[in-house]
Amino acid sequence: MGLLISCKDASRLISRMQDGNVPFAERARIRLHLLFCDACSGFERQLRFLRAALRSYRQ
Amino acid sequence: MTNSDFASRCNSHRGYLLRVAVLQLRDNDVAEDVVQDTLLAALQGEGGFSGRSSLKTWLTGILKHKIVDVIRRKRREPVLASLDEECQIDDLDALFDESGHWENPPADWGNPESALSQLQFFDVMQMCLDKLPPNTARVFMMREVMDLTSEEICKELSITPTNLWVILYRARIALRQCLEQNWFASSGRAA
Repeated sequence: MGLLISCKDASRLISRMQDGNVPFAERARIRLHLLFCDACSGFERQLRFLRAALRSYRQ
Repeated sequence: MTNSDFASRCNSHRGYLLRVAVLQLRDNDVAEDVVQDTLLAALQGEGGFSGRSSLKTWLTGILKHKIVDVIRRKRREPVLASLDEECQIDDLDALFDESGHWENPPADWGNPESALSQLQFFDVMQMCLDKLPPNTARVFMMREVMDLTSEEICKELSITPTNLWVILYRARIALRQCLEQNWFASSGRAA
């Protein structure tokens, strides 16, 4: 995997980041990707919102 | 504290426990049984309650174990047989074009947090959760509602981390799509 990754790969890594160990190199690739990609930045915000929504549902 | 005091304090959390169990198990009868078991185990194991955590947290811990037991038993039933199918990522490739860009990029949800104060939003979310494939839903709830770690879920269900990531990815993709179509893109947001 090069330094630049596709939205397809980024979206999978963004989801994985919510579940624990993503190696440093891959986290760096995501950060870089998110700097330039509005779609994936939106996806990341949406996943964080989903988690918050499920937490508050449980209460 | 007398026994009956403790029992009634435990009982006061019944509604909450039932809610968590129904969310996870999607079967009211089984959920009732599991909550009953949990309260019984709590009363029998009163000594195990140190008072360091809240009673609610302690009861939720017992409930988690009871729910995992049920899921583990179900694992052997045909209903979980399709788990392997839900672990395949190939069909999710269709979300992206050949160069790996989104076919339909996620829309801007504005300030989604404001939805959390609207009861209707949670009806829509429940509807979206109900539409998930059964095992995907179960695994996703173990992660997000019961707050189990990836390692715990893999161990309980005997699946690999890669399988788990695909299932959770599938659930999140489906849920965000469903919420976008049924809430954020519709009048619900303005309501």
